[in-house]
Amino acid sequence: MGKKMFLVMTGLCTAVLLSACGTAAPATVEVTRSVNQTVVVTPTADPNAAAPLPAGSVQINGAGATFPLPVYSAWTFAYQYVDPSVVINYQGIGSGGGKKAIIDGTVDFAGSDSLLKDEEYTSGKDLQMYPMLAGAVVPIYNIKWAKEIPSGTKLPVMILDRQTLVDIYNAKVVTWNDAKILATNPDLAEYLPGEAITAVHRSDGSGTTEIFTKSLTAFSPEWTAGGASAVEWPVDKAGNGMGGKGNQGVAAAVINTPNSIGYVELSYAVSNGMSYASMVNKAGKIVVASAESMSSAMSDFAGSFSEKLTADIVDAPGALSWPIAGYTYIILHTENMSDCIKAQKLLEFLRWALTDPGAAKQASDLGYSVLPEDVRDTVLGKLGEVTCNGTVLLP
Amino acid sequence: MKAQTVPPNTMQRLRRNIGKALHHGDRIWQWLTIGAGIGVALLLLGIGWMLWRDSADARSAFGLGFLAPTADASWNPVLDKFEAWPFIYGTLITSAVALLLAIPISVGIGIFLAELCPSWLRLPLGWMLELLAAIPSVVFGLWGIFVFLPEVVEPLGTFLAGTLGLLPGIGALFAGPIPASGASRLAAALILTIMIVPTISAVTRDVFLAIPRSQREAAYALGATEWETISQVLVPYGLSGVLGAVILGLGRALGETMAVTMVIGNSIGGAVSLLRPGYTMSSIIANEFAEAVSRLHSQALIEIGFLLFIVTLLVNMAARFLVWRVARRTPQEGRA
Amino acid sequence: MTNTASSTHFIRARRGYTRRRTANAVMLVLTGLTTALALIPLFWIIGYVVYQGGQYLTPAFFTELPTPPGTEGGGVWNAIQGTILLVILAGLFALPPGLLAAFYAAYYPNTPLGIAVRFSTDVLAGVPSIVIGLFLYALVVVVQGHFSGLAGGIALAILMLPTIIRTTEEMLKLVPPSLREASLALGAPEWKTSLQVVLPAAGNGLITGFLLGLARASGETAPLLFTALGNEWFDFRSLIRSGLESGMNPLEILVRIIEQPVDSLPLTLWKYAQQPYPERIHQAWAAALVLMAFVLAVNIFARLWILFRARRMKG
Repeated sequence: MGKKMFLVMTGLCTAVLLSACGTAAPATVEVTRSVNQTVVVTPTADPNAAAPLPAGSVQINGAGATFPLPVYSAWTFAYQYVDPSVVINYQGIGSGGGKKAIIDGTVDFAGSDSLLKDEEYTSGKDLQMYPMLAGAVVPIYNIKWAKEIPSGTKLPVMILDRQTLVDIYNAKVVTWNDAKILATNPDLAEYLPGEAITAVHRSDGSGTTEIFTKSLTAFSPEWTAGGASAVEWPVDKAGNGMGGKGNQGVAAAVINTPNSIGYVELSYAVSNGMSYASMVNKAGKIVVASAESMSSAMSDFAGSFSEKLTADIVDAPGALSWPIAGYTYIILHTENMSDCIKAQKLLEFLRWALTDPGAAKQASDLGYSVLPEDVRDTVLGKLGEVTCNGTVLLP
Repeated sequence: MKAQTVPPNTMQRLRRNIGKALHHGDRIWQWLTIGAGIGVALLLLGIGWMLWRDSADARSAFGLGFLAPTADASWNPVLDKFEAWPFIYGTLITSAVALLLAIPISVGIGIFLAELCPSWLRLPLGWMLELLAAIPSVVFGLWGIFVFLPEVVEPLGTFLAGTLGLLPGIGALFAGPIPASGASRLAAALILTIMIVPTISAVTRDVFLAIPRSQREAAYALGATEWETISQVLVPYGLSGVLGAVILGLGRALGETMAVTMVIGNSIGGAVSLLRPGYTMSSIIANEFAEAVSRLHSQALIEIGFLLFIVTLLVNMAARFLVWRVARRTPQEGRA
Repeated sequence: MTNTASSTHFIRARRGYTRRRTANAVMLVLTGLTTALALIPLFWIIGYVVYQGGQYLTPAFFTELPTPPGTEGGGVWNAIQGTILLVILAGLFALPPGLLAAFYAAYYPNTPLGIAVRFSTDVLAGVPSIVIGLFLYALVVVVQGHFSGLAGGIALAILMLPTIIRTTEEMLKLVPPSLREASLALGAPEWKTSLQVVLPAAGNGLITGFLLGLARASGETAPLLFTALGNEWFDFRSLIRSGLESGMNPLEILVRIIEQPVDSLPLTLWKYAQQPYPERIHQAWAAALVLMAFVLAVNIFARLWILFRARRMKG
C-alpha cells in the first residue's frame, strides 16, 4: 500500500452547487503531517460565518456501517483541517449497531447501508436516511492453487455467475473444482483445488450483508434465507461457514483462511490487494466491479428513490452493470437533535462531504461511487430541512 | 451489633472518654461500612435482576424451547426467531474438552509444586503460572489467530480428522476438514485449556499444601512410595478441594469471551464437529449485542447473558463450597 | 520440601518393589513434564509478542492519534490515554466501597451481612466480564443516552472490586488485633483507628492488591465493547484546551472528558487484530507488547513487594 496522499480541496461554500466552489480559488493553506499526508485546505469562504469556535470544542459521535468506514475515516481525518472546531468520531460497529445506536439515541448520527424497517422508523420517531455514496460488494477469494503457477504467468481473475454464488452460500457448491465454477472458469480448471470452500460472512448486523443477501435473493429463487442485515446462513448449518466482524473482519478471515470466499465492499479488496471475482450479470455479460459498472447500475435504477430517500440497486439489468451494489446512508434525527451547535456542525460536515471535490476524489480513489448529481441535490435539499428547536440549520 | 464485637471494657472506656462528636463520627463510619457491604451484596442481585428484567419479552416469546437441544436450531434475525442451543452446545463442548485436557495437566502441576519440586523452585514456578493467568485475553486471541492456529491447531485438526474422524460414533465429533485458518471449536478449546490450567493448578497446589503432614508421614511409615502416598492418600484426602479447583476452572472457561471469539470462527453451525467453526454463549453476545436492532434479538442475547450469569453463579458457589470444606476440615497444625 | 526418601528405605526387597519404584519414577517425571508443558505457551506468547511487537514500536505509536485505515503512521495515543482514564475511573469507583466493605467483612465476619459480603465477593469474581458489560449497558449507557468512559470505568470497577475486597480483608486480618485495641483503648474513635492505625499497618498488602486489580482491569476488553465503545480522537490535551477556550470551568471539562466514548489498548488490539491492513496488524502486535509488558510488570512488582515484605517481617 505504502504512502497515500490526500489532496483535499475544500471550501465551505455557502452556495450548494459545485460551480460556486469551482470558481472561488482563494489562497490555499498546505498542511503536511509527519505521516506523509498532505491536506490542502482553503479557508472557509463564508462571509456570514460567526466567530470560529475553539479547536476541538464540538465532539460529534457517530457509529455504524463498516462499508463506508475507509472513506468516512479519510473524510473525518481531512475535516479537522477544514473546520478545526469539530472532531468527528465514527466507529465502525456494523450497520445494525448504527441503527440500534441512533434509535436508542446513543450517537449523534449513524452510518448504515441497511434500510430502516417501518417499525424502526416508528420507534426512532423522526429518523431520516440520507444516501451518501454508492459502493460495490465484491466476492473476494483466497485459494491455495492445486498446481504451481508457472513463473511469469498470471492467473486470470475468477468469474462467477449469479447462480453459482447463491449455490456456494447455500452449501450446494462445496468444493472449488465444482463443475459450476469450472464452467465459467475454463482457464482455471487445472488450478482449482478439490478442497472444501469455507464461506465467510459477517458475524455482526451488516448493511453489506443486506446488499449481498438482497442480491442473492434477486439472483435465484433458491436463496430462501432472505435479504437482511443478518440472516441465518445455510452454509453455517452445513458447517462450512465462518463469521468475521465488520468488512475488515471478513477480509482478514479470508486472508487467514486458504480456500475461502467472502464478500466485502470494493475498497477493502482493493486496498488490501485481494483477488476479487468478476460476475456474470443479469444481462449475461461479464463485469468487473469498477466506477463504470457502478454508475451503470445506479443509472439503471435512476429515479427509483422512494419518499424515504432509499433505493435498492441490486441485480441491475444493464449490460455494463455490477450486480451487487448498494447505497450507504447516514441516519439523522431530523427534529430532535439535542445540541443545536453540534447538529449544525454535523450538517455542515455532511454538506462538505457531498459537495467538496476533494472529498469526492477521496471517495472515488478508495473505490466508491459518488451520487449522481440529481440525487445529491435531493439529498442536500432534504438536509436543509433538518431543524433544531424549530430552526432550520443549513441556510 | 457494636456491643457484640468490641470487648465490653473497651466500650465502657470509649463511652467514658470520647465526646459526642467523635461518637457521631463512628456512627457515620459504621453506616458507611454497612452501606458498602450491602452495596456489594446487592450488586450481584442487581446484575441478575437487570438481566432478568431486560429479557422478559424473549422469555415469554420463546419459553423453555429457547434452551432446548435441537439439531436444527434457528437463530434468525429476519424472522425474529431465536434458539440458543448452538451457543449452549458450543460453550459446553469447548469447556468440556478444555477441562478434559486441563485436569490431568493441572493436577500434575499441583502435585509437582506441592509435593515434589525443590522448594527454591516452587515460588518462581508458581509465579510463572500466575503470569500466564495474568496475560490479557485479547493477547491470547492475537497470538491464537496468527501463531497458534496455523502452527498447532490446523495440523492437529487435519490429523484428528484423518484418524479419530474415521471412527464410527465418536467420529462425528472429529469430522473434518478443519478450515485452513484453524478457526474452530477445537481452537477455542485448546486456548481455553491454556487459560484455565493456571487457575486449576494454583488451587490444587494450595489444596495439597493444606493437607496435614501427619497424613503423609503415616503413609510413608507404612512403606508407601511417594506416588502411592500421593495417589492413595493425598488425592483422596483433598479430592473435594481438587474438584472445587476444577469447577473454578470450568467457571472461567464458561465465561471467557475475547480469546474465544477471536479463534472460534463465529459460525452458527449445525455441525457438531470440534473441527468446524462455532460460537459460544459469550462470543455471540460480544459479536451481536451492539448490533442487535430488533427488540427480540437483543433480548434473546440478554437472556443468554442471564443464563451465563446463573450458570457461572452456581458453578462458583459449588467451587467455593468444596474448596472451603477442605480448608475448614484441615486442623490448625498445617504444614508450616 | 521434606526429605521423604529415608522413610522408604525399609521396604527394600519386597515383591513388586521394582515395579512400584518404576511407577513412582514415571509418575513423578510426568508431573514435572506437565509443569513444563503448561509453561510452554507462556514463553511462546511472551517471546512472540516481544519479537513481533518490538519491530513496530515507534515513538509515533505512543504519541500520535490513529490515521485512517490503510495508511501508514499514526499511533494509539488515544487508546493509551483512554486506558489511563478508564483505570483511574475504575480505581476511584472501586477503592472506597471496596475498602469499606472489606473493613466490615474483616471485623464482623460472622454477621449475616459479613457472610453475604464475602460470599458475593467470591461469586462476583466469577461473573463473566461480558455479563458485566451487558449490565452496565442497561444501567448507564441506555439511561445516559450515550456510550462513555464513565460506563466503561464503572464496568472495570466492578471487575476490580472482588480483588480489592479480598486482599484488603486478608491484610486487615493480618494486622495484630492488639494494635487496634491499643488505639481504641487510647480513646481513638473506630473510624480514626481504622483509617490511621489499621490501614497503614496493612498498607503494603493493600497497595499490591490494588495494583493487581488495576492490572486485571487494564487488560479487560469484553466489558468495554458496549460501554466505552472506542474513540479515535480521544485526547486529553485537545479536550482540555477546547474546554478552556469555550469558557468551561474545570468541573465541566472533567465531566466532558468522562462523558466521551473512549478507546483502550485491549479494545484497540481487538479491533486491529481483525483487520486486513498490515499496518493495523503491526500496531496490534505493538499494542499487545505494551499491554502485556504493563500487566506483567505490575504482577511481578506486586509479587516481589509481597515477598520482600514477608521476609522483612519474619526476620
